[in-house]
Amino acid sequence: MEETVRFILRRLGFYLIAFWASITLNFLLPRFMPGDPVSRMFARTQGKMQPEQIDALRKLLGVDDRPLWEQYIDYLHNIVTGNMGISISRFPAPVTEVIAAQIGWTLLLGGTALVIAAVVGNLLGILAAWRRGGAIDSALPPVLIFIGSFPYFWLAMGALYLFGVILGWSPLRHAFTDGLEPAFTWEFIGDVGAHLVLPALTIVLVSIGGWMLGMRNTMIATNSEDYITMAEAKGLRPGRIMFRYAARNAMLPSVTSFGMSLGFVVGGAMLTEVVFAYPGVGYQLLNAVQGLDYPLMQGLFLTITAAVLLANFLVDILYVRLDPRVRSN
Amino acid sequence: MTQPRYLRSARITAAGLAVGALLLTGCAATVNKSGTSSSTSDNTNAMLTIPREDMSTFDRNFNPFAPAVNPMVNQAIYEPLLVFNPAKGDTTPWLATEWKTAADGKSITFTLRDGVKWSDGKPLVADDVAYTFELQKKLKGGYEYLVGATAEGTNKVTFTFNKPWSPALYEVGQLPILPKHIWSAIADPAKDANATPVGTGPYTEVDSFQAQSYALKKNPNYWQPEKQKIAGIKMLAMSGNDAANLASVNGDVDWSTQFIPNIEKTFISKDKEHRHYWFPPTGAMINWQLNTTKAPFNDPKVRKALSMAVDRDQVTKIGMSGYAQPADCTGLSGNYEKWKNPAVKDNCSWTKLNVDEANKVLDEAGYPKGADGKRTLKDGMPFEFKISVGASSSDWLSVANVISQNLQAVGVTAKVDSPDWASVVAGYEQGTFDSGIVWSANDPSPFKYFNNAMGSATVKPVGTKTFDNYHRFGDPKADALLQDFVAAGDEAKQKDVAYKLQEEYNDAAPLVPLFSGPEWGDYTDVHFTGWPSQDNPYATLSDRSPTTVLILTTLEPRK
Repeated sequence: MEETVRFILRRLGFYLIAFWASITLNFLLPRFMPGDPVSRMFARTQGKMQPEQIDALRKLLGVDDRPLWEQYIDYLHNIVTGNMGISISRFPAPVTEVIAAQIGWTLLLGGTALVIAAVVGNLLGILAAWRRGGAIDSALPPVLIFIGSFPYFWLAMGALYLFGVILGWSPLRHAFTDGLEPAFTWEFIGDVGAHLVLPALTIVLVSIGGWMLGMRNTMIATNSEDYITMAEAKGLRPGRIMFRYAARNAMLPSVTSFGMSLGFVVGGAMLTEVVFAYPGVGYQLLNAVQGLDYPLMQGLFLTITAAVLLANFLVDILYVRLDPRVRSN
Repeated sequence: MTQPRYLRSARITAAGLAVGALLLTGCAATVNKSGTSSSTSDNTNAMLTIPREDMSTFDRNFNPFAPAVNPMVNQAIYEPLLVFNPAKGDTTPWLATEWKTAADGKSITFTLRDGVKWSDGKPLVADDVAYTFELQKKLKGGYEYLVGATAEGTNKVTFTFNKPWSPALYEVGQLPILPKHIWSAIADPAKDANATPVGTGPYTEVDSFQAQSYALKKNPNYWQPEKQKIAGIKMLAMSGNDAANLASVNGDVDWSTQFIPNIEKTFISKDKEHRHYWFPPTGAMINWQLNTTKAPFNDPKVRKALSMAVDRDQVTKIGMSGYAQPADCTGLSGNYEKWKNPAVKDNCSWTKLNVDEANKVLDEAGYPKGADGKRTLKDGMPFEFKISVGASSSDWLSVANVISQNLQAVGVTAKVDSPDWASVVAGYEQGTFDSGIVWSANDPSPFKYFNNAMGSATVKPVGTKTFDNYHRFGDPKADALLQDFVAAGDEAKQKDVAYKLQEEYNDAAPLVPLFSGPEWGDYTDVHFTGWPSQDNPYATLSDRSPTTVLILTTLEPRK
């Protein structure tokens, strides 16, 4: 038990250093980009703004001209206190508000798609490896890899065109029907669900092949282990061998991938959000980068970084439970 | 024995998935297709639906001082004193009925319309106008020539300037007016969300606000109630052109202004009877700017020769999908049609494709062609430079590529350089770029265009940031004319000076004008009729310019 605690503490220290490194990069990288937010904004309006207004705007938006190290200290202080500043492209909304208002949709979309893809993909992988050469094993992998290798936006647009425009089965845009009030009613939840199907489905289709193949390959290796033969010799039920003996041991790489993917849910669904006009943070991030909206960019990257690190930390802890070898290392 | 833990959780997940799938499929069937049905009786209650391709979500912020103002704030909620319509070149009195410029050109007096009320029922008074400008100057700056605005009684406002400044009429006249009794009570007007706006416009009442859509309904106290024929406006948030185009093509929106590629085929052909588009060339002039602080661009002969090597028909056809109109040597876009000097316009030489002449001029100017067909500069270096365009502007990128190909015919090598817009603009601002594809000012009066193109006052040294005149060209002759222009009291005199400015422009070629940017606009008249068109150009089809209010007060439900 003591070893477990020490392991977790060691990992925690590592993650603290990783976190510091990433927030520092997060601070520096946007500032290495040429230009500043106000001149970007000016260039975007293409001459509709008066040049004399630039100074006033700079003051209003609080664009910083102070030395970098002073900004850096402020930045660290703000992160600790949770004050992310005010978004420039969505002025005067605070960054935390912009992110909070939209991240739920991204988590809903990315989370749903990830869970479905991982669960279904792993189950298919287990079955395919268990019955090598069977119907699932010979038909599905090539098909799924084929679909997965499409450029993502192409698949999303194709699906949108086919199911949304031609067949009319699914809504074309947004997270719920315009004019509907968000509420905990069956009508609203159903409407959100209906709007979620197509975007989530396209993500699942693209990513499921990877899950299935990964699981199948590890599972095949596990199947040839002696303890499986032993279990069979003892006359255990095949289902029990498949899940308790083979799958449990083959699961570790999948758990790692799941942790990684969990972190990337926040930033990963950007193209989906753009194609389906889904109100998540993806398009906001693109806008923030193009408009040099430092505070929002920092806020979003920080969220993503934190999500990746947190997910990895959870996976590490989970590993202790799943894989006894980790504890002694 | 207990059930294996992972199996139990797998079962729970499976059950959850099954319920979820049931829920999703069951509801997918009941969702009605978005968009409104076109039965006649519905049109009186139908909302004018417009997509916004550059906002993926809306904030409930109707503050006109916000850097990114919500759609329709300055079009349907707040109104200006007058509306200038570039499609026809005429001016419509709006909150003001008449205005008079003082004899010395140093003040303008507007007379306000009687009976105009704010949407909360209070009357519009001259003090509101004066207060609006006070606030505008305080929060956003600009209007440096403006000393102040003073109310005289309840219906007259006088704007005084520190020098005669003729372009002021439109700059002052087109600023949307705010109610003093509301804004003076707001603690921090720059940051206030103004969630329930009070304006004089036709559609002021915010309704069913959601992150991706909101509606504006009729102002109950509008000053021309007979013109509020449509029930309201509905804005939809879209993340990018593709999503907005899908809505347009699918008929889910009535009016849109984002770029649609191959519009005849993708949009019009779906419903030829009801769908229309109109792209009048009233947008800004798009120029190829050559950095005149660098040789050989400091030589007007070179600028003209390069301009003659550019095939503008090809540029507009390939680069702009045939939607734009090639420029002439007045440098003015279609927005300034009434200002154009016919003597200059009808005798253009350097804005027409003429490869032989271009070669001849470059030979004579001392840029010889070598044996490999490539020219060298006076110092013997190869005649090579970059054209910088932001990577995200695919249309302008192909414009730059066409120019680059055209220049090969005269032995000049132009490389298209396309990093992110941020670094392109930083190069423009610092004056370190070679050349670029750049927009220009698009005001009712051509003063700013010429001032930015060749006014010495706007020239900054290389390394000092500038926000206009990126090509850094100043011309003393033009300076004198620009001075005359701002001092000219009436429009006839201004036109006279503008004619001379065009002659100077034609002489000096400070920029290489390429094409008049089109003002995009398309619509379907399934639900609403009365749209502006080539035959009835009472406004452009823009949904975010001062003329938009003219359309909002003209449209009526289809009967």
